[in-house]
Amino acid sequence: MRDPSGTANDHRAGEDRRSTKGARVAQNKAAAILAALGGKDNVVEIEPCITRLRCEVGDDSQVDEAALKSAGAHGVLRQGSVVQVVVGPEADTLAGDIEDLL
Amino acid sequence: MSIEVRSPVTGLAASLTDVPDPVFSQAMVGPGVAVKPASGPADAVAPIAGTVATLHPHAFVVASAGGTAVLVHLGIDTVQLKGEGFTLHVSKGDTVEAGQAIVSWDPTAVEGHGYSSVCPVVALDLTPDSLGDLREDGQVSAGEPLFTVEGG
Repeated sequence: MRDPSGTANDHRAGEDRRSTKGARVAQNKAAAILAALGGKDNVVEIEPCITRLRCEVGDDSQVDEAALKSAGAHGVLRQGSVVQVVVGPEADTLAGDIEDLL
Repeated sequence: MSIEVRSPVTGLAASLTDVPDPVFSQAMVGPGVAVKPASGPADAVAPIAGTVATLHPHAFVVASAGGTAVLVHLGIDTVQLKGEGFTLHVSKGDTVEAGQAIVSWDPTAVEGHGYSSVCPVVALDLTPDSLGDLREDGQVSAGEPLFTVEGG
């Protein structure tokens, strides 16, 4: 199955395309969630629980709930500067990917 | 074909809607049943046979070979206990039998820290109509059937 959104990686020879694509999709999701949280300058802390990312943000008005949902969040819970992004059990992996981007 | 999902703890079965956390009560990660555990130290056991896919001190996911994944969460907001009072008996990636001890804990101690000890048991990423034979009230023992899931 080819990624219809881009062909940038298709010319890479000798790579396991499937695993490369899997990693890329995960990174894109982490980047999309980070952007929807207002970017790395807005994220004070991020901690994974088993079903969700618990994020503390500097300015909660910069959090884009619709963008979080379109990035794959099942739901978003907000209490002031604490935003919980419900992503299911991939929270651990996603939190790691987001930490890498911070 | 369906899988029998067993109660991870001994206690009182209840509707997931009774859980004081919107992620579970609104079934954001999937449908299931809650169990209010009996008092005192106990083992939480695997609800199905499979592989330990995710493991925290206070919560775990067991995934069957057919892809059905069941999440057990021991208490609400218990991530904030940072593992205190939870003793793990398996590692991530281990193969487990239904009914096998996964974590020892003490629901009474969890409540002593100010958290609910209720245990959501959730079939991840499924729709409510995939579940059958739900037990949402009455006493259940650890290892007894709680609900069934269509699938493998």
